[in-house]
Amino acid sequence: MNRHRRRVVITGMGVVTPLGDTVEGLYQSQIEGRSGISRITIFDPGSFPTQIAAQVKDFRLAKYLGADASRFEKAGPNSQFALAAAKPALADAGLLDPGAGDRTRMGVYLGAGEGKQDFYHLIPTIAKCSDPHRLQVDASAFYRHGSSGFDPRSEREQEMHTCTAHVADVYALEGPNYSCLTACAASSQAIGEGADLIRRDEADVILAGGAHSMIHPFGITGFNLLTALSVENSEPSKASCPFDARRAGFVMGEGAGMLVLEDLEHAQRRGAKIYAELTGYGTTADAFRVTDSCPDGRGAVACMRGALQDAGLAPEQIGYINAHGTSTQVNDRGESIAIKTLFGPRAYQIPVSSSKSMLGHLIAAAGAVELVICVMTLLRGIIPPTMNYEVPDPDCDLDYVPNQAREKRVDHILSNSFGFGGQNVSLIVSRFSGK
Amino acid sequence: MSTAWPRTVITGIGVLTPIGEGIDPFWQSVMAGQSGVKRISLFDATGFPIRIAGEVTGFDAKKYIDKKDRKSLKMMARSIQMGVAVSGMALKDANLDPSQFDPTRIGIDFGASLIASDLDELAPGAHVSTDHGKKPVDMQIWGTQGLAVMPPLWMLKYLPNMPACHVSIMHNLQGPSNTITENDVAGLLSLAEAKRIIERGLADVMLTGASDSRINPLSLTRLSLFQQFTKRNDDPARACRPFDRERDGIIPGEGACNLILEELSHAEKRQASIYGEVVGAGAAQDRHRDGQGIARAIQAAMKQAGITAAQLDHINAHGYSHPHFDVMEAKGIRQAFGDQAPPVFAAKGYLGNIGSPGGPAELAISLLAMKHGSLPASLNYEYPDPECPLHVLHGEPKPITKDYVLKISFSDLGQCCAVVVKRWQD
Repeated sequence: MNRHRRRVVITGMGVVTPLGDTVEGLYQSQIEGRSGISRITIFDPGSFPTQIAAQVKDFRLAKYLGADASRFEKAGPNSQFALAAAKPALADAGLLDPGAGDRTRMGVYLGAGEGKQDFYHLIPTIAKCSDPHRLQVDASAFYRHGSSGFDPRSEREQEMHTCTAHVADVYALEGPNYSCLTACAASSQAIGEGADLIRRDEADVILAGGAHSMIHPFGITGFNLLTALSVENSEPSKASCPFDARRAGFVMGEGAGMLVLEDLEHAQRRGAKIYAELTGYGTTADAFRVTDSCPDGRGAVACMRGALQDAGLAPEQIGYINAHGTSTQVNDRGESIAIKTLFGPRAYQIPVSSSKSMLGHLIAAAGAVELVICVMTLLRGIIPPTMNYEVPDPDCDLDYVPNQAREKRVDHILSNSFGFGGQNVSLIVSRFSGK
Repeated sequence: MSTAWPRTVITGIGVLTPIGEGIDPFWQSVMAGQSGVKRISLFDATGFPIRIAGEVTGFDAKKYIDKKDRKSLKMMARSIQMGVAVSGMALKDANLDPSQFDPTRIGIDFGASLIASDLDELAPGAHVSTDHGKKPVDMQIWGTQGLAVMPPLWMLKYLPNMPACHVSIMHNLQGPSNTITENDVAGLLSLAEAKRIIERGLADVMLTGASDSRINPLSLTRLSLFQQFTKRNDDPARACRPFDRERDGIIPGEGACNLILEELSHAEKRQASIYGEVVGAGAAQDRHRDGQGIARAIQAAMKQAGITAAQLDHINAHGYSHPHFDVMEAKGIRQAFGDQAPPVFAAKGYLGNIGSPGGPAELAISLLAMKHGSLPASLNYEYPDPECPLHVLHGEPKPITKDYVLKISFSDLGQCCAVVVKRWQD
C-alpha cells in the first residue's frame, strides 16, 4: 500500500523507581540483582495480609522542579513521579528548553494511573454518615461531612487526566495529549500508541510512558482481597520470585518511566543522540475472564506475533525477552506457554527474565520502566537476571537467566506487559544501526 | 493525507442517555427539544449544592444482557453496566454479529473516568475500624476485620478498563484493546485512536465510545469541591445553556455511547448501512486555556480531512455551559476559522455533561441528523454572549445542506480532540 510510515526512535529516558531515579542506577541495580522491596512505610500496613512493597525512597518533587514543586504538593504520587521522570528524559533528549523545536508537534501519551483516594477521611466519613445497623450511607450527611473534610485540590488530583495535563503544561508539550489505563499494560500501550502518532505524522515527538502508585490502603486492600499479592512479609527481597515454583503473588511497586519517542528524521536533523529504535507494537485482548488470563496464552501469543509482524522481524531475531513475569502462578505459567507456542523449540534458547523480581510491579508504570531496562540491555550487552529463582516449576521450563546477569549482545528485544482483565501489549526495541 | 489508507466508516450507534435509551427515543427527544436534565432521583440529593442532573432514569442492565452473562453484573459498577449494555445495542444497530467474523480482527477502544466506589459497600469495614466513626481508622482492625467484610472482587467493580474488558469477553473480541482516561475528552479520543488502528490494518471493526456515571454521593461531593456547577437547581430543563450569556456552570450527567467503526470494504462486503466516514481527527493540549489548543486540534482534523470551512454543515461543539470554558471554545473556533466559522450546534442542553461518553454521544446527534437530513436546535440559547461570538443554531431544527460535520471535545485541563465526519452517500 502506498502509505508512508515514519520510523520512531528513542532519544531520551527518565525514571523514578524503587531502584533509584537514574537510568544508569536502575540498570546497574538490575544487573547486580538488588531488590527494591521492603516493609511498607508510606502508610501503616497494620495487619494487612501484605505488608511489603517496592517503594520509591526519599522522593521529593522539589529535587526536580525546585520552587515550582509547591504547585503540585497536592498532586497524586502518579503525577509527581511523572513530572520528576519527564525532566531528565527531556533533558537527555535535548528538548527540555521550551524554546527547543516546535512544541505544538510534541505530545504526551502516558499510562498515567489515578491519584490517591483519601482513605483516612473517606472511611471515617462513611462511618459517621451511616447507621451502624442498616449500614446505608445518608447522602446529605455524607456531603456535609465530606465537603468539609476532603481537600478540594487533592480530590481534583485523583482524576486520571491530571497527570498528562501537568506534564504537558510544565514542559510545554502542546501536541496530542492522551492517557490510558489498561491496568498493568498501560504504559506499554501508551508507548505503542504514542509511537503510532509519530509514525502517522500527527506529532514529531511524544513523551511516552507511565506513572503510578497503588501503594495506599485501598490499593493493597483491593489486591489482597483478590489474593493477588505476595504475603511473604518476613523476607521482602525474596517475595517476588517469577517463574519459580514457589511464586505466590506479585509485589506492588510504584514509580514512573518516561521515554522520548521521536521521528527518526526529526532526530537526525537536530543531531540528537539515538538510543534505540522502537520497531514493534502488538495489542490484543484475551476476551477470556476478568480475573484470569487465558490459560493457553492465546492473547499473549497473538500479541507477541503482532509485535513481530509490526517490526518485520522473524521470531529467531529476538535475542532477549523481558517478560511480564509477575510472580503469580497464572501469569508466569501462561506467559511461558505463550512464548513456547510462538517461538517453538527455539524458545529454550532465548533468555527470558523478569525485572519485577527486583522492582516489584509498577502496575501502569511497569512496562515503560521495563522498556528502559531493555534499551540499556541493547546498549550494554548485559541481560539482567530473574532473581529469587531457586525451585524450578515443570510448567515454566525456559531459560530465565536465574540469579546472575549474563553478557550477550542482542539486537532486538521483546518486552511483554499483560493487563488485569486481559489486555496484552508487546513492544520490540531494536539496536539502531544508523540507517 | 494519502488516499491509500484504509477508510473508516461508522456503521452502528448505541446510546444510553438522559434523553433516551436507544437511537429512536434519543432522536425523538432532540427533535422535540426536550431536555433530559431533571431533579436527581438516584439518591436523595437534598443536601447537595447540585440537585439536578442528566440521569438515565430506569436503567436496567438486565434488559441488555444475555441470561448467561447476567451473573457478571454484580461485578460491575453502574457505569460499567452501561458500557456493556450500550455495546450490545450498537452491535445490533450495526447488524453485526461478532461470532460470524474472525475474533482477532475486532477490537475495542473505550473511554472512562474515575468510577466512584459504592459507599454502602465500604460501610461495614468503616464501622468496625473506626468505632462507628468516633476514631480514626485503626489499621490493625481494617487489615483483618475490615477486609473480611468486603466483597472479594470489590476492586474489579471500579477499574476503568473494565467496561472494555467485559465487552471484549461478552462478545469475544480478541483484537486491540485500550481504555483512554482523559475525562470529558476520552470518548472522542478513543474514536480517533480506533480510526488509526483500523487504518494501520490491525482490525476490521472497532467498538469505540465510553461510559460514565457521576450521579452518586461520592462523585458529586468530590466534584462540588472543584468544579463549577450550575446554581439553577429550580429550573432544570433550562439550566444547561451552552454559549448563552446566562450560563452559570456545568450540569453533571451520566450515560454511555458506543459507535461501531468499521473498515469500509468490510462494511460494504456485508452490506452494512453506513452513517458516515471518519475522515479526520486531531488532538492537542490547550496549555494556556485560551483556545489555541482547540484551534490546533481543529486544524489538524481539517487538514487530515482535506476540506475547508465552507464544506462544514455545522460544528458540533463541546459547549460545557461554563462561564469560562465556553469563551475558551469560542476563541478556539474563531482562531481556527475566523469570520468563516460555520454555525455551531451544542448538545449539552439536552444531556448535561455526561463525561467521557459525551463526545461520541453528541456526535451521534450529528450522525442521525445527516441520516434524517435535519439538525436539531441547540437548547436554551436565548441571549447571545459577546464573549462567545459564534453563530449558535437555536430555535428550530435546520436542514442539513453540506456533507461534513466537525465534532469538538475538550477537558477542563485543556486536553482537546476534534473529529471530522463525512455524510455517507451510496
